[in-house]
Amino acid sequence: MLATGNPTPQNEMVNRLDSAVSEVFEMMLERSCDPMDGDVHIVDGRIVARIQFTGAVSGECILYASPATAAVTAEALLGTASSEPCDPMVDDAIGELCNMIAGGWKSKLEHPQAGCLISVPAVTREGLVALEGKFGTKFSRTYSFQGNIFGIVLAF
Amino acid sequence: MRKVIERALRQAGLELTEVLQASNGEEALQALRDESGKPNSLALILSDINMPVMDGLQFLEQRRDERLAPGVPVVMITTEGSEPLVLRAISAGAQGYICKPFTAEQVKARVVPLLPAA
Repeated sequence: MLATGNPTPQNEMVNRLDSAVSEVFEMMLERSCDPMDGDVHIVDGRIVARIQFTGAVSGECILYASPATAAVTAEALLGTASSEPCDPMVDDAIGELCNMIAGGWKSKLEHPQAGCLISVPAVTREGLVALEGKFGTKFSRTYSFQGNIFGIVLAF
Repeated sequence: MRKVIERALRQAGLELTEVLQASNGEEALQALRDESGKPNSLALILSDINMPVMDGLQFLEQRRDERLAPGVPVVMITTEGSEPLVLRAISAGAQGYICKPFTAEQVKARVVPLLPAA
Protein backbone atom coordinates (compact mmCIF):
# COMPACT_ATOMS: atom_id res chain seq x y z
CA MET A 1 0.00 0.00 0.00
CA LEU A 2 1.03 3.57 -0.47
CA ALA A 3 2.20 5.69 2.39
CA THR A 4 -0.45 8.10 3.58
CA GLY A 5 1.79 10.59 5.40
CA ASN A 6 3.01 13.58 3.38
CA PRO A 7 1.55 12.30 0.13
CA THR A 8 3.44 13.17 -3.02
CA PRO A 9 1.48 14.22 -6.10
CA GLN A 10 2.10 10.74 -7.48
CA ASN A 11 0.79 9.07 -4.33
CA GLU A 12 -2.26 11.30 -4.34
CA MET A 13 -2.95 10.41 -7.94
CA VAL A 14 -2.66 6.70 -7.26
CA ASN A 15 -4.64 6.91 -4.02
CA ARG A 16 -7.46 8.58 -5.94
CA LEU A 17 -7.30 5.78 -8.47
CA ASP A 18 -7.39 3.09 -5.76
CA SER A 19 -10.37 4.81 -4.20
CA ALA A 20 -12.22 5.11 -7.52
CA VAL A 21 -11.62 1.44 -8.35
CA SER A 22 -12.75 0.33 -4.91
CA GLU A 23 -15.95 2.41 -5.12
CA VAL A 24 -16.88 1.11 -8.54
CA PHE A 25 -16.37 -2.53 -7.57
CA GLU A 26 -18.19 -2.24 -4.26
CA MET A 27 -21.16 -0.32 -5.63
CA MET A 28 -21.58 -1.79 -9.08
CA LEU A 29 -20.18 -5.31 -8.77
CA GLU A 30 -20.71 -5.87 -5.04
CA ARG A 31 -17.18 -7.15 -4.75
CA SER A 32 -14.02 -5.88 -3.15
CA CYS A 33 -11.07 -5.05 -5.37
CA ASP A 34 -7.62 -4.41 -4.00
CA PRO A 35 -4.44 -2.93 -5.43
CA MET A 36 -1.50 -5.31 -5.69
CA ASP A 37 1.94 -4.46 -4.41
CA GLY A 38 5.19 -4.94 -6.26
CA ASP A 39 5.77 -6.04 -9.83
CA VAL A 40 2.83 -7.93 -11.16
CA HIS A 41 2.86 -9.33 -14.65
CA ILE A 42 -0.42 -9.37 -16.45
CA VAL A 43 0.50 -11.88 -19.07
CA ASP A 44 -2.46 -11.27 -21.27
CA GLY A 45 -3.81 -7.76 -21.41
CA ARG A 46 -5.49 -8.31 -24.72
CA ILE A 47 -8.69 -6.40 -24.00
CA VAL A 48 -7.96 -2.73 -23.63
CA ALA A 49 -10.39 0.07 -22.81
CA ARG A 50 -9.34 3.72 -23.11
CA ILE A 51 -10.90 6.93 -21.89
CA GLN A 52 -9.35 10.24 -22.86
CA PHE A 53 -9.23 13.32 -20.66
CA THR A 54 -9.31 16.70 -22.39
CA GLY A 55 -9.52 20.28 -21.25
CA ALA A 56 -8.11 21.01 -17.82
CA VAL A 57 -6.40 17.59 -17.86
CA SER A 58 -4.85 16.08 -20.97
CA GLY A 59 -4.29 12.36 -20.75
CA GLU A 60 -5.93 9.00 -20.73
CA CYS A 61 -7.03 6.15 -18.53
CA ILE A 62 -6.30 2.68 -19.90
CA LEU A 63 -7.77 -0.47 -18.39
CA TYR A 64 -6.47 -3.81 -19.64
CA ALA A 65 -7.37 -7.38 -18.83
CA SER A 66 -7.28 -10.89 -20.16
CA PRO A 67 -10.38 -12.18 -21.95
CA ALA A 68 -11.06 -14.48 -18.99
CA THR A 69 -10.89 -11.68 -16.43
CA ALA A 70 -12.94 -9.43 -18.69
CA ALA A 71 -15.62 -12.10 -18.98
CA VAL A 72 -15.78 -12.56 -15.19
CA THR A 73 -15.98 -8.81 -14.73
CA ALA A 74 -18.76 -8.50 -17.28
CA GLU A 75 -20.71 -11.28 -15.56
CA ALA A 76 -20.43 -9.50 -12.24
CA LEU A 77 -21.39 -6.13 -13.68
CA LEU A 78 -24.30 -7.42 -15.74
CA GLY A 79 -25.47 -10.05 -13.29
CA THR A 80 -25.23 -12.83 -15.85
CA ALA A 81 -23.56 -15.46 -13.73
CA SER A 82 -24.97 -18.51 -15.41
CA SER A 83 -24.03 -17.90 -19.00
CA GLU A 84 -20.89 -16.57 -20.57
CA PRO A 85 -21.42 -13.09 -21.98
CA CYS A 86 -20.78 -12.72 -25.67
CA ASP A 87 -17.78 -10.70 -26.85
CA PRO A 88 -19.60 -7.43 -27.60
CA MET A 89 -21.21 -7.54 -24.18
CA VAL A 90 -17.82 -8.12 -22.55
CA ASP A 91 -16.31 -5.24 -24.49
CA ASP A 92 -19.20 -2.96 -23.48
CA ALA A 93 -18.82 -3.95 -19.83
CA ILE A 94 -15.06 -3.34 -19.81
CA GLY A 95 -15.57 0.00 -21.54
CA GLU A 96 -18.17 1.00 -18.97
CA LEU A 97 -15.93 -0.13 -16.13
CA CYS A 98 -13.12 2.06 -17.48
CA ASN A 99 -15.59 4.91 -17.90
CA MET A 100 -16.77 4.70 -14.30
CA ILE A 101 -13.24 4.42 -12.91
CA ALA A 102 -11.99 7.33 -15.02
CA GLY A 103 -15.03 9.38 -14.03
CA GLY A 104 -14.56 8.50 -10.37
CA TRP A 105 -10.89 9.44 -10.52
CA LYS A 106 -11.75 12.73 -12.23
CA SER A 107 -14.39 13.56 -9.65
CA LYS A 108 -11.75 13.34 -6.91
CA LEU A 109 -9.54 15.97 -8.54
CA GLU A 110 -9.41 19.51 -7.26
CA HIS A 111 -10.84 22.44 -9.19
CA PRO A 112 -10.11 23.24 -12.04
CA GLN A 113 -8.79 19.81 -13.06
CA ALA A 114 -12.10 18.22 -12.05
CA GLY A 115 -13.73 20.16 -14.85
CA CYS A 116 -11.93 18.21 -17.54
CA LEU A 117 -13.97 16.29 -20.07
CA ILE A 118 -13.88 12.54 -20.54
CA SER A 119 -14.46 10.75 -23.81
CA VAL A 120 -16.68 7.78 -24.52
CA PRO A 121 -14.75 4.53 -23.99
CA ALA A 122 -12.93 2.87 -26.87
CA VAL A 123 -12.34 -0.87 -26.53
CA THR A 124 -9.98 -2.99 -28.61
CA ARG A 125 -8.78 -6.58 -28.49
CA GLU A 126 -5.36 -5.77 -29.87
CA GLY A 127 -3.54 -5.59 -26.54
CA LEU A 128 -1.36 -2.96 -24.96
CA VAL A 129 1.37 -3.45 -27.52
CA ALA A 130 -0.81 -1.77 -30.11
CA LEU A 131 -0.95 1.41 -28.03
CA GLU A 132 1.47 4.09 -29.05
CA GLY A 133 1.69 6.27 -25.97
CA LYS A 134 1.70 9.95 -26.75
CA PHE A 135 1.87 11.05 -23.12
CA GLY A 136 5.10 11.37 -21.17
CA THR A 137 4.12 10.47 -17.61
CA LYS A 138 2.52 7.16 -16.77
CA PHE A 139 1.28 5.58 -13.57
CA SER A 140 0.58 1.88 -13.63
CA ARG A 141 -1.40 -0.01 -11.06
CA THR A 142 -2.54 -3.60 -10.82
CA TYR A 143 -5.71 -4.77 -9.08
CA SER A 144 -7.16 -8.07 -8.02
CA PHE A 145 -10.71 -9.14 -7.29
CA GLN A 146 -11.41 -12.73 -6.38
CA GLY A 147 -8.12 -13.80 -7.97
CA ASN A 148 -8.80 -11.99 -11.23
CA ILE A 149 -6.10 -9.49 -12.12
CA PHE A 150 -6.36 -6.41 -14.30
CA GLY A 151 -4.26 -3.31 -14.81
CA ILE A 152 -4.86 0.41 -15.13
CA VAL A 153 -2.55 3.01 -16.59
CA LEU A 154 -3.01 6.73 -16.13
CA ALA A 155 -1.01 8.62 -18.74
CA PHE A 156 -0.48 12.37 -19.04
CA MET B 1 -24.43 0.30 -19.57
CA ARG B 2 -28.05 -0.11 -20.61
CA LYS B 3 -28.03 -3.68 -19.29
CA VAL B 4 -26.52 -2.50 -16.01
CA ILE B 5 -29.19 0.16 -15.54
CA GLU B 6 -31.95 -2.27 -16.45
CA ARG B 7 -30.57 -4.67 -13.85
CA ALA B 8 -30.47 -1.89 -11.22
CA LEU B 9 -34.08 -0.96 -11.93
CA ARG B 10 -35.19 -4.57 -11.49
CA GLN B 11 -33.09 -4.83 -8.31
CA ALA B 12 -34.88 -1.71 -7.11
CA GLY B 13 -38.14 -3.62 -7.40
CA LEU B 14 -39.46 -1.90 -10.52
CA GLU B 15 -41.44 -3.96 -12.97
CA LEU B 16 -40.35 -3.14 -16.50
CA THR B 17 -42.96 -4.08 -19.04
CA GLU B 18 -41.01 -2.78 -22.03
CA VAL B 19 -37.64 -1.10 -22.38
CA LEU B 20 -36.79 0.93 -25.48
CA GLN B 21 -33.05 1.16 -25.93
CA ALA B 22 -30.93 3.59 -27.90
CA SER B 23 -27.16 3.70 -28.16
CA ASN B 24 -26.94 7.47 -28.59
CA GLY B 25 -28.98 10.65 -28.44
CA GLU B 26 -29.94 10.57 -32.10
CA GLU B 27 -31.39 7.07 -31.81
CA ALA B 28 -33.21 8.11 -28.65
CA LEU B 29 -34.79 11.10 -30.41
CA GLN B 30 -35.95 8.86 -33.22
CA ALA B 31 -37.43 6.44 -30.69
CA LEU B 32 -39.34 9.32 -29.11
CA ARG B 33 -40.59 10.49 -32.51
CA ASP B 34 -41.78 6.94 -33.21
CA GLU B 35 -43.55 6.84 -29.86
CA SER B 36 -45.26 10.21 -30.22
CA GLY B 37 -49.02 9.91 -30.44
CA LYS B 38 -49.12 6.62 -28.58
CA PRO B 39 -51.04 7.12 -25.33
CA ASN B 40 -49.10 6.61 -22.08
CA SER B 41 -46.38 4.74 -23.87
CA LEU B 42 -43.43 5.97 -21.82
CA ALA B 43 -43.07 6.34 -18.07
CA LEU B 44 -39.45 7.39 -17.80
CA ILE B 45 -36.39 8.33 -19.84
CA LEU B 46 -32.92 7.46 -18.55
CA SER B 47 -29.92 8.86 -20.36
CA ASP B 48 -26.17 9.02 -20.06
CA ILE B 49 -24.33 12.20 -20.97
CA ASN B 50 -21.25 10.73 -22.62
CA MET B 51 -22.52 9.05 -25.76
CA PRO B 52 -21.24 8.89 -29.33
CA VAL B 53 -22.93 10.71 -32.23
CA MET B 54 -25.16 12.85 -29.98
CA ASP B 55 -24.51 13.25 -26.28
CA GLY B 56 -27.12 13.28 -23.55
CA LEU B 57 -27.22 17.05 -23.15
CA GLN B 58 -27.76 17.60 -26.86
CA PHE B 59 -30.44 14.93 -26.72
CA LEU B 60 -32.20 16.74 -23.88
CA GLU B 61 -32.07 20.09 -25.64
CA GLN B 62 -33.28 18.70 -28.94
CA ARG B 63 -36.07 16.80 -27.19
CA ARG B 64 -37.17 20.02 -25.52
CA ASP B 65 -37.03 21.96 -28.79
CA GLU B 66 -39.06 19.30 -30.63
CA ARG B 67 -41.43 18.92 -27.65
CA LEU B 68 -41.01 15.16 -27.70
CA ALA B 69 -42.60 13.27 -24.79
CA PRO B 70 -42.85 16.54 -22.83
CA GLY B 71 -44.54 15.01 -19.79
CA VAL B 72 -42.12 12.13 -19.37
CA PRO B 73 -39.52 12.62 -16.63
CA VAL B 74 -35.85 12.35 -17.57
CA VAL B 75 -33.10 11.10 -15.26
CA MET B 76 -29.48 11.41 -16.25
CA ILE B 77 -27.15 8.59 -15.19
CA THR B 78 -23.58 9.62 -15.78
CA THR B 79 -20.02 9.90 -14.53
CA GLU B 80 -20.20 13.63 -15.27
CA GLY B 81 -21.19 15.16 -11.96
CA SER B 82 -19.72 18.63 -12.34
CA GLU B 83 -22.02 21.50 -11.42
CA PRO B 84 -22.13 23.21 -14.84
CA LEU B 85 -23.20 19.98 -16.51
CA VAL B 86 -25.82 19.24 -13.87
CA LEU B 87 -27.23 22.75 -14.24
CA ARG B 88 -27.27 22.48 -18.01
CA ALA B 89 -29.07 19.14 -17.78
CA ILE B 90 -31.66 20.51 -15.37
CA SER B 91 -32.26 23.60 -17.48
CA ALA B 92 -32.76 21.33 -20.50
CA GLY B 93 -35.43 19.33 -18.70
CA ALA B 94 -33.73 16.65 -16.59
CA GLN B 95 -35.59 16.00 -13.34
CA GLY B 96 -33.10 13.64 -11.77
CA TYR B 97 -29.37 13.07 -11.77
CA ILE B 98 -27.55 9.89 -10.74
CA CYS B 99 -23.77 9.77 -10.68
CA LYS B 100 -21.95 6.54 -11.53
CA PRO B 101 -21.07 4.39 -9.72
CA PHE B 102 -24.47 3.93 -8.14
CA THR B 103 -26.37 1.42 -6.06
CA ALA B 104 -29.81 0.01 -6.78
CA GLU B 105 -31.05 1.89 -3.71
CA GLN B 106 -29.86 5.19 -5.13
CA VAL B 107 -31.58 4.46 -8.42
CA LYS B 108 -34.78 3.60 -6.60
CA ALA B 109 -34.65 6.75 -4.48
CA ARG B 110 -34.33 9.01 -7.49
CA VAL B 111 -36.52 7.19 -9.99
CA VAL B 112 -39.55 5.96 -8.06
CA PRO B 113 -40.81 9.44 -7.00
CA LEU B 114 -40.88 10.45 -10.66
CA LEU B 115 -43.01 7.53 -11.85
CA PRO B 116 -46.72 8.11 -12.48
CA ALA B 117 -47.88 5.63 -9.83
CA ALA B 118 -45.79 7.22 -7.06
